[in-house]
Amino acid sequence: MSLRIAGMGWVTPLGRGVQPVWERLVAGEEASAQSIADGPEGKKYPFFPVPSAELKSLPPHPRLRRASAISRFAAAAGLDALEEARSTTLAATREHAKAFDFANSQNRRAQGIGMERIALVFAVSNGGVVYTKRFYEDIAESGAQSASPLLFPETVFNAPASHLAAILGITGASYTVVGDGAVGILAMKMADDLMTNEELDFCLVVGAEEADWLLCDAYRKWRLLKTQPPIEPFRHPPRGMILSEGAGAILLGRDGPIAANEIHAGANFSQRKEASKRIIRILSDLAGGRSEILIASANGTFVDLAEKNAVSREMPGATIYSLKPALGESVGASAIWQVIAAAQSLRTKRLPPLLHVDPEDAGGVSFASGKEASASTAIVLSCGLNQQVAALRLSI
Amino acid sequence: MSIFNASHGKTKNARVAVVAAGIVSPLGFGLTETLQALRGGQDCVGRVTRFDVEQCRCKTAGQIADERLLEHRPSGRKAKRLHRASQMMICALHEALAQDMRFKPELTVIGTTSGGMSFGQDYYRAVHRHGSLRHSPSWIANYPPQKPVIDAQEAVGISAPCQVIANACASGTNAIGHAFECVRSAKYERVLAGGYDALSELVFVGFDSLQAATPEKCRPFDRDRTGMVLGEGAAILALENLDRAKSRGARIWAEITGYGVSTDNFHLTQPDPSGSGARQAMEHALARAAIPVQAIDYINAHGTATSFNDAVEGKAIAELFDQVPVSSTKGMMGHSLGAAGAIEAIFCLLALENQFLPPNINFRTGDEDVDLNVVANESRAAKIEIVLSNSFGFGGTNASIVMQKFAA
Repeated sequence: MSLRIAGMGWVTPLGRGVQPVWERLVAGEEASAQSIADGPEGKKYPFFPVPSAELKSLPPHPRLRRASAISRFAAAAGLDALEEARSTTLAATREHAKAFDFANSQNRRAQGIGMERIALVFAVSNGGVVYTKRFYEDIAESGAQSASPLLFPETVFNAPASHLAAILGITGASYTVVGDGAVGILAMKMADDLMTNEELDFCLVVGAEEADWLLCDAYRKWRLLKTQPPIEPFRHPPRGMILSEGAGAILLGRDGPIAANEIHAGANFSQRKEASKRIIRILSDLAGGRSEILIASANGTFVDLAEKNAVSREMPGATIYSLKPALGESVGASAIWQVIAAAQSLRTKRLPPLLHVDPEDAGGVSFASGKEASASTAIVLSCGLNQQVAALRLSI
Repeated sequence: MSIFNASHGKTKNARVAVVAAGIVSPLGFGLTETLQALRGGQDCVGRVTRFDVEQCRCKTAGQIADERLLEHRPSGRKAKRLHRASQMMICALHEALAQDMRFKPELTVIGTTSGGMSFGQDYYRAVHRHGSLRHSPSWIANYPPQKPVIDAQEAVGISAPCQVIANACASGTNAIGHAFECVRSAKYERVLAGGYDALSELVFVGFDSLQAATPEKCRPFDRDRTGMVLGEGAAILALENLDRAKSRGARIWAEITGYGVSTDNFHLTQPDPSGSGARQAMEHALARAAIPVQAIDYINAHGTATSFNDAVEGKAIAELFDQVPVSSTKGMMGHSLGAAGAIEAIFCLLALENQFLPPNINFRTGDEDVDLNVVANESRAAKIEIVLSNSFGFGGTNASIVMQKFAA
């Protein structure tokens, strides 16, 4: 029996909410970049921030009082996914509808609805980097005695997951999974493994990331970051990516219109030139040729060529789309965003146009042009920048 | 191998064997050194030498000597750039797979809390203090938490997909527990599990700032306990479907029979004072193993020696069990965070294999509020068949596993 998507939540630089963000993407819109400056020379880098207005409606909770941006993004996306499940997919199931009434958690507790039957898997790459940097800054500049006991707990990778579990009242399994851009799919795989346990009804998979100057600087030193937008996917030679931030949440259950029926366990590559081989093997395992849509992780780096080579071989007729020219590279959140885009493409029979791509770079693949995309399956492929690759197939 | 979700809807409940193990910790390199130090109750905590601790309350930790890590480092230019965490993982994985060369994992599940954190610190200092950035690409590439796992796999010539769990101090036990569930469900036949963490200034100062770290000896469950000390290390266990392991003649060290997990939403850094989170994790592990509380012969406690943890864990143990022998082994080597659960699982394996109870060193006076049968200061010979190991972490993550001596 396949896992199914029961609800989704999306917090991006282009707005909050699955439907509004999707409509803007389909209309060919892209997020606005801003500059952040820091460091001794005040060096500036562009990034795509989440507009602060998008989180204004987040209900107050003691756990969010001091929490960093990543925790807020995750809370918003998680609540939205559960709200969608409550109001749509699961509305027919009275008990589940009550279970996801998070606006009224006291009511839920009073009815004895067991939140141990929902697991949380939280995907993250860089984690709470803003507070981590601030915490270490104090130590480096003023010594250990200046270290803040309030900041330190927020630097721990699982702090955002802990806040989200507390807000939602989840008392059973909660896992934070770390990795590169592919981590969202690895988290989906972990959820798939967890859901083998019939004591679980649902698993909420969340991917989140926050951007910071230090991250931009590090990626720049690693020759992966551009100094000016836009991200130009599949360009040869690659010109680099731009970081973004936000969160995505997917509630997996056993009912719902979209099935996640094949989630690959993934693979590792030790050198960049090996990435394409790993992708080919994964697409071959997924029988890629049977899917018409591929949501790629192309972000203007070495990843693009690796993906293009693999897709032209394993999925020659497929249409490729990448969110990253429109939304930026959100690393730990990015693969979950891709899954949301894949689910939306199946639901709405539309695929947004791939922005800033040069048709001459197609070389045997077909780029999304914004036309109708009437497919019954879609593959999500994520090749990270730090040696991990993973993919999954959705179907409707 | 089933790389997809083929077994949904089926509950096969395969038995899960531990067929190999590897460890590096302040207690030693490998199982033999570890057993000797564990049985002897060796105190391997000393003054921190890796960074300046002058301004910290706590000045000690359990550390692994760099010289010994270098002895085990693979040759080549790339190996020189590896983080210490990678070197530890290589040692542990090498030892485990040397015991069973035919073990080819389908999945690797590893716990950690901080990955290659010290490289992040180096990068920050270089950028903000106009330091040399000559090594920065190497720091950045070797900083991510999955890197030591991939490095270790490469060093021993395997490549399995990795799931890296960062559930704070429960990470190692969560990794073993999740790997156990993967094999038990019959979705996988062979999974590597474990944990690692290397000491870093940021984390050390963090615990010091919380006043969770002690300037004195680490005395778990003692009335006069004053806090934890940190440690470091790596440990790996090879888990396999027991029937398959038997059929290929693999050595079976023990069985893992239960895993329990709970999330305690009381506070980001403090457990629920009622002990409900810890208790639920232990109860779920026992239920999964389908055994009564009386079946447990020994508990390797989380036992950090902080006032909160030991009071809450002690209360939960005392309420659930009747005077079962309990020890925390953290007094010997400190708290190795993401590695702790995996290291302590190997301590349990050694205890089952050699029929002794590991000691809770630096213990002076029992806590009248916590009625526990502490294995005080010296190891004890004992007939033990089934043991339980606890790990509890920041964020309210609680995990327990049940391990059992294998009866052929």
